[in-house]
Amino acid sequence: MNLKSRLVSIVWRGGILGVAWAIGAGMPVLAANANANANAPAAAPARAPAAAVSTAAPTAVAPAVPAAAPDPAATVGAAAPGTPVSDAPPGDFKTLDQEVQGMKKDVIDLNKDLFVLQEELLFPANTQVAVYVSMDVGSFFALDSVTLKIDNKEVKNYLYTAREAEALLKGGVQEIYLGNLKVGKHELVAFFTGKGPMERDYKRGATVNFDKGVGAKYLELKITDRVSKHQPEFKIKDWE
Amino acid sequence: MRKHLIVCGIALVGLLAGPLAGVSIAAAPTLVGKDAPDFVLKGTDGKNLRLSEYRGQVVLINFWARWAGDSRQEMPALDRINSTYNRAGLVVLGVSVDEDSRRAREFADAMKVKYPILLDTSPEVGRNYLLEKMPVTLLVDRSGVVRYSNVGFKRGDEHIYLDQIRELLRE
Repeated sequence: MNLKSRLVSIVWRGGILGVAWAIGAGMPVLAANANANANAPAAAPARAPAAAVSTAAPTAVAPAVPAAAPDPAATVGAAAPGTPVSDAPPGDFKTLDQEVQGMKKDVIDLNKDLFVLQEELLFPANTQVAVYVSMDVGSFFALDSVTLKIDNKEVKNYLYTAREAEALLKGGVQEIYLGNLKVGKHELVAFFTGKGPMERDYKRGATVNFDKGVGAKYLELKITDRVSKHQPEFKIKDWE
Repeated sequence: MRKHLIVCGIALVGLLAGPLAGVSIAAAPTLVGKDAPDFVLKGTDGKNLRLSEYRGQVVLINFWARWAGDSRQEMPALDRINSTYNRAGLVVLGVSVDEDSRRAREFADAMKVKYPILLDTSPEVGRNYLLEKMPVTLLVDRSGVVRYSNVGFKRGDEHIYLDQIRELLRE
């Protein structure tokens, strides 16, 4: 699951949890109001905003959620000693307790996910992958376009103007792609099109399998001349 | 009975005219006053051209399509403008929005224009330029801002283009 979908998942779960808290908090309040308990109205609003915040700003929830976690028990406890709630059978309390335990578990899970997400957001460079293009000599190849595929998905198609190709021949290095990848094994395929020897249309591909570690990854697409064969050569260099 | 018919007729007219009078025809979105979105496209001669490389020159971009009859009249007029004002710093770019690049190329060859014809086979550039009708002729000033947008073409419109071009070249 990528970062975006995880964020959506967390916000979604936070929203459900918030609604659950609001409902869970609302019920005892109603019951307490019916019994003229003065503590309950004060407890309910304090909980409701915390739930609302959790849906709107996930990063801000991290400290708020654990703080809110003990509250349901307090609410139940607060409603219970003040006035006799003899109307509710003991079985309902058991169910409520189970629900509270389930919610606590959800809060812990959510907190864990938020922590991981926060780490990823704070250190995005770790997921970075940058691809550069360079040309050496280029007597046997006039570059027209480069298409990049990472893990079989096209991420870039770049058309070169005469001026850009000339700049590469003069030693320029172009950052053609900057993106994010998860840690693990990946495959980069680069297709080069242009004019080869004798002004013939030329299309070649180069592939590299690389391991994306915890640091940023730099790859260089190198176009060089193989003088012995009078052919261009395409290499992908993996900069550690 | 007749009175009733008249009243009904007036009511019907009122019913139809009321909403129409209230509806304000929304102006088509335009890029005038905004930076011209950059693009790089392959020309019919096989060369790739990037708009931003012409920064510092006045650029006339003509979006055309085979199926737009006005394009057939407009392209020769633009070719004449190009041959006159090219030396003064005007760049004319024709952009075909036809999906069939082969037929667009044939059409362009038949028109025998000397300015570069670019092929936009993907709808991306057209979408960036908010194209709704064809042809569209835009004038981009030396700093890359769209200054004029002309939709459609009829005989005599080239004089309007000339006024716009002269103004931008003088800046």
